Amino acid sequence: MKKIILLIPLLFGITLLTFTLTKALPGDPVLSMVGERAHPETIEKIRRELGADRNILEQYTGYVTLLLRGEFGRSYYTNREVFEDILMKFPNTLKLALVAMMIAVPGGLLMGFIAAVKRGSVADRVISSLSVAGLSIPVFWSGLMIMLFFSLKMNLFPPSGTGDIRFLVLPAITLSLPAVGALSRITRTTVIDVMAMPCITTARAKGVSNVRIHIVHILKNAFIPVVTVIGLDFASYLNGAVLTETIFGWDGIGRFTMEGIIRRDYPVIMGCVITGTVFFVLINMTVDIMYHYLDPRIRLDEKGR
Amino acid sequence: MSRKYPKIGPGSIYRLTGCLIVVFSLLACSPQNRIEGYVYYRLNTNPTTLDPAFIVDVTGGAISAKLFNGLVRIDDDLSIRPDIAERWDVSKDGLTYTFHLRKGVSFSHGRQVRADDFKYSFERILNPEKPTPNTWVLERILGAGEFMKGNARDVIGIRVLDDFTLEICLRTPFSPFLSLLTMTAAYVVPREIIEQKGYDFSGHPVGTGPFVIDEWMPNREIRLIKRDDYFDMPAKVSGILYRIVPEDLTAVTEFDLGNIDVLSIPASEYARYRNDPSKQDLISHMRGLNTYYVGLNCAKPPFDNPVLRKAVAHAIDRRKILNSIYEGRGRLASGPLPDDLRAWDISYPYEYNPQRARELIQKEGAIGRGIKFYVTADQEIVDIAEVIQSYIGAAGLNVTITQLEWSAYKEAVNKGDPDIFYLSWWADYPDPENFLFPLFHSSNHGPAGNRTRYTNTAVDSLIERGQHTRDTRKRNLYYRRAEEMIVADAPWVCLWHRNDYTIRQPWIAHYRIYPVYSMDKGTELAAIPRSVKREARN
Repeated sequence: MKKIILLIPLLFGITLLTFTLTKALPGDPVLSMVGERAHPETIEKIRRELGADRNILEQYTGYVTLLLRGEFGRSYYTNREVFEDILMKFPNTLKLALVAMMIAVPGGLLMGFIAAVKRGSVADRVISSLSVAGLSIPVFWSGLMIMLFFSLKMNLFPPSGTGDIRFLVLPAITLSLPAVGALSRITRTTVIDVMAMPCITTARAKGVSNVRIHIVHILKNAFIPVVTVIGLDFASYLNGAVLTETIFGWDGIGRFTMEGIIRRDYPVIMGCVITGTVFFVLINMTVDIMYHYLDPRIRLDEKGR
Repeated sequence: MSRKYPKIGPGSIYRLTGCLIVVFSLLACSPQNRIEGYVYYRLNTNPTTLDPAFIVDVTGGAISAKLFNGLVRIDDDLSIRPDIAERWDVSKDGLTYTFHLRKGVSFSHGRQVRADDFKYSFERILNPEKPTPNTWVLERILGAGEFMKGNARDVIGIRVLDDFTLEICLRTPFSPFLSLLTMTAAYVVPREIIEQKGYDFSGHPVGTGPFVIDEWMPNREIRLIKRDDYFDMPAKVSGILYRIVPEDLTAVTEFDLGNIDVLSIPASEYARYRNDPSKQDLISHMRGLNTYYVGLNCAKPPFDNPVLRKAVAHAIDRRKILNSIYEGRGRLASGPLPDDLRAWDISYPYEYNPQRARELIQKEGAIGRGIKFYVTADQEIVDIAEVIQSYIGAAGLNVTITQLEWSAYKEAVNKGDPDIFYLSWWADYPDPENFLFPLFHSSNHGPAGNRTRYTNTAVDSLIERGQHTRDTRKRNLYYRRAEEMIVADAPWVCLWHRNDYTIRQPWIAHYRIYPVYSMDKGTELAAIPRSVKREARN
């Protein structure tokens, strides 16, 4: 609850920061709106209509009043309500993030687990190199390769577009690759650590079956750092995966934000940053709550302080 | 590799892999559904608005041409032809235009178009309360200035004589006026719909064109349906679907899979398609009405000195850049006007001559002088800029390139920050005036087009005389003299006119590219039915 209350000053700070940063950027949205042949008077008039001629403090208070009324304003270019656009695009981003997570979490955990259990084997080495590859290959390259193979050569999935699950598969795989890499590495390290713990030896001595040891004792203990990584990745996916969305023509928040930034469409930039902040904070809170469930000691520690 | 996993991991991996394979095969193997009879285009960006009053981009202009009509439009031979006005008279003094409208032209919501719709639409462009970027298109009408300042209730130069006769009086004779009326801003729009929809008219436009908008899903697709009651030749296709695909390579993949019918060939793919014998007949090319140039800032040192401007022009091997980086996709420019708009001959006096360039720079004592070269952060442009940098560097000037993202670049160039910059100008209407006036008249410094801040009163007066003369022969004489003087003063290094290449699928018939976006009404194109299409794909 305390964290939710803390969200308010945080959001306030974010608006102030984003607002000043976007205004400090070179480039003027009005110049892009008027095309190549506008008279200075026309430019002045449009600037006045947008309120861009007022000083920055007035503009900021104006924006905050708008926010307090629960509005994000309208895009300078399309004249559409920014809030409505975000509402329309957010489900797409959420879908992509969820499917990418559905690939990354089991894939990463499984790979990391196998690598840890079979430490030093060929499998471990193969998995390790795959994870490094997944982590370090940039999305704009892996995305295109995946598209070339699965769409152009195999004709299995449509290369781009926004729609049902068929359109989701390729961008989700692309987006999940770095997360698979990161997760499998983290899982491997933590599982190895846990396996060396005395409790595991005790369990083995007590004759607990191998499968039970792996699943109940090791995995559960290894989960905490993994959950942190999952939370961070998921939150960043919810803020949009600009490159993946652009390559696969997926209509999500990332592309929307990026276009807003390129065009200096201030209401769009602000709206996206604010929603992004909210999601980041909410997901971090969920992760914190999950810690308590995974390891009750964490809660005790916190109270102890 | 999947065979190895079961050996090492828990047994459930078999089942998991099995499940995944089933899911994948269920999802896969279903090619994209296409709507029968539609033609699929690619857009690389979402158009910002489809309200003709606010459109300033080519994408929006090209789509709105299919949704709206004006009084006149551009014919295939670049002359002006009737559109909603079936004929018009021009008074002897060139001031009064009387348009006789066709009867039976209707908006897509059913109401007939009358002359007062044009008055409303034109006054909407000039509206003092809700300013639009396109005022320059109609500001030459008598009384436009007073109306824009808010000092008049209407534009007195636009008079509705009866339901089907519209009279427009100009402040001064202006020969390209009919050309201006072919532009997006001069399309007719229905008042009642605009008043009802307000801001949303941009997303749900209603016009008179051969197509109506079915749905616009921003950043995804725009669907247009053919109108059966279009007053002119109706479209041959049932509809047009614009798919918004931002990434070039993705668009190429979509095209290769047959999901896009017509594709403007990205530079990176030009050689591949060009060298593929099976594609030869499917590539069209168009001589673009454009000029690419290096602008030299004439308002501040060092390029307020014409000798140094000429030196830069001599320093650059345009032919080599065109043939290498551009792979020959253009024609060398002889002057600022595109060759296809010029009715006279002109020769470009600045052949590549690095020695001469160096001598001129040395003579002016400018060797080693620092030059700020601004470009947009587009890879192709940066490549060209680096070559230009080395050419000018070899001639003795020390060029630093600043890459800016488009919006910041435009601001800097409009303000006159750079010494030199790289830009292009594309025709909105096919008239030499569309290049000479905005780009070189001294009243248009900065954002109105003259970004080199070139000032020459003799050129100004020649351009103005051309604007006011109705006799084509005389006008060409004025324009020719103006162009020759501009070339002699060298505010630009005129580079080339770019050609555009598109590739289409074998099932697309009667395809052609138009030099100006407003010319393509989408009514000529045809798609051969699907059964034939499948064969073609195999």
